Amino acid sequence: MSESGAFAGVDVGSLGSKSVIFENGKIIGSSILRTGLKSEESGLDALNAALGDAGRRREDLKFIVGTGYGRISAPYADKTVTEITCHARGAHFLHPKTRTIIDMGGQDCKAIRLDEEGNVTDFAMNDKCAAGTGRFLEVMANVMKVQIEELGELSLNATEVLPVSSTCTVFAESETISLIARGERPENIIVGIHHAIANRIHGLFSRVGIESDVFFSGGVAKNVGMRKALEDVMEITLAQPEGDPQLAGAIGAAILAQEAWANKKIKAVV
Amino acid sequence: MSLQTLNKIQEALASRPAELEKARAEGKKVAGWLNYNVPEELIYAAGLIPVHLGNGGDNRLVETGGRYISMMNCVFTRQITGQFAEGTDAYIKNTDAVFIDVTCKQLYRVYELINYYFKLKTEIIGVPYNFQTAAGKQYFRKETAAFAAKLEKISGKKITAESLKYAVDVYTAIRAAIRALYRIQAGQETPITWHEVYDVVQAAYYLDKDVYLRLLQELLAEIETAPVNPKVSPDAPRILVSGSVIPPGDRKVLDLAEESGGRVVIDDLWSGFAPYLDTDVKETSVEGIADAYIERHPHGSLPVLDIEQDKRLKDIKQLIKDYKADGVLFHTLRYCDCFTFKAAETKSVLKELNIPFLEIHTEYAKSDIEAIRTRLEAFVESLKSRRKIASGFIGAGI
Repeated sequence: MSESGAFAGVDVGSLGSKSVIFENGKIIGSSILRTGLKSEESGLDALNAALGDAGRRREDLKFIVGTGYGRISAPYADKTVTEITCHARGAHFLHPKTRTIIDMGGQDCKAIRLDEEGNVTDFAMNDKCAAGTGRFLEVMANVMKVQIEELGELSLNATEVLPVSSTCTVFAESETISLIARGERPENIIVGIHHAIANRIHGLFSRVGIESDVFFSGGVAKNVGMRKALEDVMEITLAQPEGDPQLAGAIGAAILAQEAWANKKIKAVV
Repeated sequence: MSLQTLNKIQEALASRPAELEKARAEGKKVAGWLNYNVPEELIYAAGLIPVHLGNGGDNRLVETGGRYISMMNCVFTRQITGQFAEGTDAYIKNTDAVFIDVTCKQLYRVYELINYYFKLKTEIIGVPYNFQTAAGKQYFRKETAAFAAKLEKISGKKITAESLKYAVDVYTAIRAAIRALYRIQAGQETPITWHEVYDVVQAAYYLDKDVYLRLLQELLAEIETAPVNPKVSPDAPRILVSGSVIPPGDRKVLDLAEESGGRVVIDDLWSGFAPYLDTDVKETSVEGIADAYIERHPHGSLPVLDIEQDKRLKDIKQLIKDYKADGVLFHTLRYCDCFTFKAAETKSVLKELNIPFLEIHTEYAKSDIEAIRTRLEAFVESLKSRRKIASGFIGAGI
């Protein structure tokens, strides 16, 4: 479906704020910024950055959908939709054969099942705990004295997977410190950290099941080590999408903005 | 404008603790009870005042209760323990004896605690591990007879054929009125919401049964001519709520479900509709009452190996059909064994019928409100999208 005009999706997550501008069924601009203290400002900054990237102005937008945890303070949005629905639509856009999504964001992890149209059929989220999230990786990168961006690559050089607790970030942190003190190879510890998260996520999928193709979305999806750990632990092959998996939520929001505009017109006719 | 009788019920609740104090001063005794299978009409027939105890939703009391039991015990059990420890609850203060049946295996052990630490008179009513067998039925008849004898001892009065008939008649009429209220609130357009009806059901925890029945009948009469409540959206996705107890004081998940655009139309909660769904005393006797309790909608506390014969699941399926529910919200409290064990099984059975299912796992602390809101909003969005696709809208989700 293609609706003339420009539409925007703004996804304010706990760590990253993302925005996408959609026009004629295509992404014409996007942005990814670090979420600041005020989620409303972060969303607006991301939206303006995406507009700049697209070469469009605010008044060119017909409809804006806000999503992510920051959607509760998004007065710039015409409508807010949960990130679960948005990730489903975004993943469907990036990889239409997607039937299962693993979404790992800064503060939570979601297992989402969808139909062939990108509609959510079932989902499960981790409980209020950092294990299995981007925040977990940040804590661990800090312990290992490496940049978070380096974690994935380092894990690929492991010679064995050292067991790390999969249930609690704080315990996993102290376990990791013990492993360092024992003189274990850092790469083997790092791969253990990735496997700890993958085990946690595997448990989450026992509630909703898995069907191919499996799409990995969210900021952590850019971590090659995490992709490999998920494939090894869950015995799956992750889809290789074209486009940025961190933008999936914002893309879904932009698509829903376009649909909302179209439905508004249907309502006006009906 | 709210219904006048609802205000009257609130007024009756406000004056109830003082009434109990007065009644006790005049020599009457209050029998507090906990759990699901306490045959309450026997308390009434024995001339005692029945009060259903236990609140939820207060994390401070959960912490207090945690000083007496493990932090790994369910939050409801911990809160009740905290309530007894604190001793300021108007109903606990006015309780002469506490009866607890062995339905929820965590909750019934509170009897040990409140007897040991808080020196309250407590009694146990045994519940069989299998409700279907003849031995199980026989066991519960014996336990109910023993319960009746204990009540007579406390009250100093015999349960007579006349007092038993009166009690059974009052409780039967209350159950019929609650069922009528549930049918009305579930209508496409309704003068009363499910939420209001749920509060009315929980007023039964405390009010005098004759007064309560009269108020229910007044409410039903008022509703007949009352205007439709404009706050109830006829288009909102219709939700059945099941799972762990949602007692007075705990409205977190229910409020969030409504704020997310869902409309609860039915529940099978043991703190809600479950005791009214199909409890039917066919014979006015102690044995007849025992049989009615054992044959009614069961609590989730016991394992049932034959899924096809599981009455709890059968009833949920029938309620979904009768109340035209679009999806099921399964509420589980942290460390509630009874219903956390049932969640995956219930989901799997309903999936075969293509009924959307969402489990919300929570406790009384407020820290997970936004996380629950996201889950509920996403669930409501998915229910709405199913409807919108069917009505020819483009795409789905909003």
